[in-house]
Amino acid sequence: MKRYIQNKTYDVTRLDDEYVVLNTDNYTVTKLNGVGGFCWSLLHEEQTVDSLLEAIHKEFPEDEQPDEGEIEEFIMDLIQCELVHHVS
Amino acid sequence: MGNISFEIGDHIFVIQNKLVKPMKILSIKSRRVNEVKAPDMVIRLEDNYGIPFIDYDVKIIKDHTKITYQRSDYLIEVDPDYKEATLYVHDELALKHALMNLYSSFIVHHNWGLLIHSSCAIEKGKAHIFSGQSGAGKSTAAKLSHPRELLSDEASILKITDQGVTVYNSPFNSELDSSDLEEASLASIQLLHQSLSNRREKISKSDALLQLIDKVFY
Repeated sequence: MKRYIQNKTYDVTRLDDEYVVLNTDNYTVTKLNGVGGFCWSLLHEEQTVDSLLEAIHKEFPEDEQPDEGEIEEFIMDLIQCELVHHVS
Repeated sequence: MGNISFEIGDHIFVIQNKLVKPMKILSIKSRRVNEVKAPDMVIRLEDNYGIPFIDYDVKIIKDHTKITYQRSDYLIEVDPDYKEATLYVHDELALKHALMNLYSSFIVHHNWGLLIHSSCAIEKGKAHIFSGQSGAGKSTAAKLSHPRELLSDEASILKITDQGVTVYNSPFNSELDSSDLEEASLASIQLLHQSLSNRREKISKSDALLQLIDKVFY
């Protein structure tokens, strides 16, 4: 399964339950909700879609849990924002 | 044409005026001070530079000896420690924008605070900021706040510490008389949008942060 990890050049601010991530390479700003911010924190170390899903299931109530497709889409968005990369 | 010392926020700036054409340097409300302590920055002003204003695009180049900010109508050269700067300007508009650009960069460099595109009205000793892009209604909001006192009508100086945010009287005023108050603690920020109906909506902290990013002057 594909593994992903954060790029290293960013600055993150947590405001209430949301996260604002500044990419200090290209000066883009990305806002993440609580679940997104939780995933982002975990991506400090290598993660797969399954490992993220498992961690979310332990942390968040059922009605806030995304499905596999949403996690994949989220990862693709982070890659597009150059915040995360695929570990080859 | 001699040296003039100004206190802005917590800092003292010495201005060496080498302008050939007479220009208003800062608002008359800015406080001139005696040089009793060493200035935080020495700013040299020169004119006969460039062409009139075209747009707000500022080209920034950094190397190990200096940082330059260049626009059609001004050029700023500042040392990497932000101790000395030279401003070459075309006219009074260029001088005002160059000074705001330099001051904004200076306080960000020192992690002291931000210069925000905004007007600021005082209500019961607390500062309320109205921020927005040009034309959003900052000055209108300031005028409609009468008889409340104003700290600024165009750009507000915000000092940010762990204890809170303090708003300072701005020397970068455009037309309105500002207050004799020198500072007040920040109570609220209004982000202005033009609309046919007026209403006030509370937004999340993260949305507020995102919307404030492009209101910082540079």
